[in-house]
Amino acid sequence: MNLPITQLLTLLILLPIAGALVIALTRRESQSLQKLAGLGVSLATFVLSTRLVSLFRDTAGMQFEERYAWIPAWGISYHVGIDGLSLWLVILTTFLTPLCLLGSWSQIESRVREFVVFMLLLEAGMIGVFVALDLFLFYVFWEAMLIPMYFLIGIWGHERRIYAAVKFFLYTFAGSVLMLVAFLVLYKASGIRSFDIPALVAAPVDPALQTWLFLACALAFAIKVPMWPFHTWLPDAHVEAPTAGSVILAAVLLKMGGYGFLRLAIPLFPDAAVRLAPLVGVLAVIGIVYGALVSLVQPDLKKLVAYSSVSHLGFVMLGIAALTTTSVTGAVYQMLNHGVSTGALFFLVGMLYDRRHTRLISEFGGLRAAMPWYFVVFLLISLSSIAMPGTNGFVGEFLILIGAWAFSPSLVAVATLGVILAAAYMLWMVKRVFYGGLSNPKNQGLSDLSAREATVLLPLVALTIVMGVLSPIFTRRIEPAADALVRQVRARTEAAPAGVAALEAAVPVAREAVVPATEARR
Amino acid sequence: MNDVLDLRPIVPAAIVALTGVVALLAQAFTPKGQSAPSSALSLAGLLGALFSVYLLGSGPAQGAVLAGAVAADGLSLFLQALILAVAIVTVLLSPGYLRANGMERGEYYALLLFSVVGMLGLVSSLELVSMFVALEIMSVALYGMAGLDRSRGESQESALKYFVTGAFASAFFLYGVALVYGVSGSTSLDRVARALSVLSPQALPLAILGAAFLLVGFGFKIASVPFHMWTPDVYEGAPTTVTAFMSAGVKAAAFGALLRVFDYGLGDLARHWQPLVAVLAIVTMLLGNLAALAQTSLKRLLAYSSIAHAGYLMTALVAAPGLAVEAILFYLVAYAAVNLGAFGVIAALSRDGREPVTAADLAGLADRRPALAAALTLFLVSLTGIPVTAGFVGKFYLFNAAVASGWVVLALVGVLTSVVSAYYYLRVVVAMYMEPPLGEDRWARVPPAAVLALSLSAGVTLLFGLWPAPVLTLARLAGRSLL
Repeated sequence: MNLPITQLLTLLILLPIAGALVIALTRRESQSLQKLAGLGVSLATFVLSTRLVSLFRDTAGMQFEERYAWIPAWGISYHVGIDGLSLWLVILTTFLTPLCLLGSWSQIESRVREFVVFMLLLEAGMIGVFVALDLFLFYVFWEAMLIPMYFLIGIWGHERRIYAAVKFFLYTFAGSVLMLVAFLVLYKASGIRSFDIPALVAAPVDPALQTWLFLACALAFAIKVPMWPFHTWLPDAHVEAPTAGSVILAAVLLKMGGYGFLRLAIPLFPDAAVRLAPLVGVLAVIGIVYGALVSLVQPDLKKLVAYSSVSHLGFVMLGIAALTTTSVTGAVYQMLNHGVSTGALFFLVGMLYDRRHTRLISEFGGLRAAMPWYFVVFLLISLSSIAMPGTNGFVGEFLILIGAWAFSPSLVAVATLGVILAAAYMLWMVKRVFYGGLSNPKNQGLSDLSAREATVLLPLVALTIVMGVLSPIFTRRIEPAADALVRQVRARTEAAPAGVAALEAAVPVAREAVVPATEARR
Repeated sequence: MNDVLDLRPIVPAAIVALTGVVALLAQAFTPKGQSAPSSALSLAGLLGALFSVYLLGSGPAQGAVLAGAVAADGLSLFLQALILAVAIVTVLLSPGYLRANGMERGEYYALLLFSVVGMLGLVSSLELVSMFVALEIMSVALYGMAGLDRSRGESQESALKYFVTGAFASAFFLYGVALVYGVSGSTSLDRVARALSVLSPQALPLAILGAAFLLVGFGFKIASVPFHMWTPDVYEGAPTTVTAFMSAGVKAAAFGALLRVFDYGLGDLARHWQPLVAVLAIVTMLLGNLAALAQTSLKRLLAYSSIAHAGYLMTALVAAPGLAVEAILFYLVAYAAVNLGAFGVIAALSRDGREPVTAADLAGLADRRPALAAALTLFLVSLTGIPVTAGFVGKFYLFNAAVASGWVVLALVGVLTSVVSAYYYLRVVVAMYMEPPLGEDRWARVPPAAVLALSLSAGVTLLFGLWPAPVLTLARLAGRSLL
């Protein structure tokens, strides 16, 4: 294939949209055609996106950049590009979308056309968020993506789907609108009359103002991640969403929060980011322990996986808050790992639900005998989730913990507790579901993985191992960008030292801003 | 001499007025219960007027004519084109609705055209008394339209309520004009502005009082809190196509005049009226959105949403004049398309004198009418202010104007109340997409003309959401012409 390299990213956004438009025009009855077309389009998008990897150079700067004037009067342009921070997140998106479509093949029976259309639009929106280099464009993708996700949860979800869909929407929308105001204030304060992200990064604003802007953006991203205590939308959305929705939600949507910190909040407001890093770090570690403890007591499989996300993403946020080259590389890597392993876990739980229409751990037991292949895959993915050496999870968490040591040994110590707790809740769950006797008669006739299910899981299992053993393939491309980010922030903040006094002044401000928000939520 | 004879700026209004008279006459020769010729005639007249606006706009720049009372400047041409487009879409929506509700009478179109004449005058007047006359022409025709559905008590109530509050507003407006005249010795905005720039301190309170009265008068027309009480009842009671026309057209015309009077005529008093407008904007956004939460009727919900949008628009009014005009003009376009669309969907479904009243009446619409449900979703998404719709770009522009002029608090209230609004707009989407249909399909097949009208609204909403630059440029030029 000899495609024009300069428009590769735009093609990646437009291909799913074009596919969605065409599929939207097909007749309602031709469901298999719609499924096949959706799968075909998303596979083509994936194949196209692999070109990004093969053409990617291991340097720090932006690559595959495209820029066209869009709303010149406001200095808004269609500006896209990727670097090491976003490359793999784009690939993760294009990789998981076909799997989700394949995984929902027999689960989604009503309104197939709409389902495929929303999945493809969602894919385009997610890619857009990861490649946007203009604040306006970023915000457009960030918000527009809410709509298909809202429909995915609300139409094809489980019993309390409407409640979960509305909660998801309002929660994330509320977080992002404050970010929008922050963008507008930044636009005015920077004085460069542009929404271009690299241009704004090069023209930092007054450190006192940065604190407020950072907090506004951080709120939007913290809700998305989700960081404790902004996580309450997540269990509802995850549990009620159909399998494909849960997978996309966990594997890609949550990553936008962490990515937002790395692409926007930290480089745009470096002084504030450094000053408020302790706050972010503490919240991250609370999230690690809290998510793990809550997972421990969940009777529902899907809820357990959902809360384990809160814990895993706490590690990501700790890596981001520590802001060392190693920890940021680890954070980006851990985002990918979480996408693969939690995505796989949601697929697995969904497959069990398809057979038994329940997710209660107490309903199962001894499944090892009935579904041996299922058990093998489940165990492997669980080990990856626990960060067992040899699997992908280990590399990410290890890099984060090592990198964060310089930031705060005590936080690292507490975070390590989360690793142990993860082993506890995962293995205990595996024991209750798979070991023991097949006491429940309903479980005796369960069929093992079908060919289609195996096809969905195989790539994920393979990645778990590959990313655990051959991690340099990935980290080599992440590291230059992570290093550039860290250096740039350090250079900025050390040139104009914030000082201990500023740090102390900032923490009460932050506390004031966070506490009312949590109270209002209750 | 040449100045007196140059009538070009009033050509669009003259075409519409003449069409209105012909429509009335034609009705006299049409069998009872038919209005087909009137609607075709109105459409032709409105298109002709729109074309004349285009000719005026592409011709050489126009100064004020008729002793400085009327101008075809950028602001007036921009809004005249918008008002005419709103009227065209309304005419396209009307035949099906009128037939379904047994109101096929030619007066409808004549009144519509006369009200358009008032609106066209309102946005092109540079003088307060002619502005008042235009305001009355617009309003009186609308009072009649609101009460056209004689079979329904609500329609009668709506007309009466609108008339009484409208008369009240007119009195305030007129009193404001008198006070401004007392201070400045003129009703021409040009001279008022000059007089106010050298105002003596003793006359200042009187001038502020005059400005306040004018603000009250406009407040009624744009449905700003606390002058909004009529809105829900009138919007609910009036025939739905009339509501659509009112919500889009009156808002555009009244905001156009408001901009001209306050940013141009009373610009020197800005630091006195700006805080007042800011407070009104905040209260309007809060009350409009919170009250909408409690509504079950779709039309009442959209009425409160219309109040809330008046609040959003007012946030830009306190911005620096140039920014304010651009932002408000763009938003008026986006808002007109969306509101015509939303009310249009309700009107288009109307059958045998019934139309969807609550969100529950739309349950399962996505199954039965996927395209219509998708269109209504698009309009509601745009009202919420989510990309990629014109509503998002419009809100971005409004709040950007407010922030750029230092009113961050207005933008904050604006975005947070938008979140509240998402809840009640989403409820309608939930009904359409996530609830099973109740009983049989009771609603009408959408007639072709209405399909065209709704496609136009949806197209504009999506197109200006993706590619707003051309309209923004026009709005910017219009803003410059005022200064």
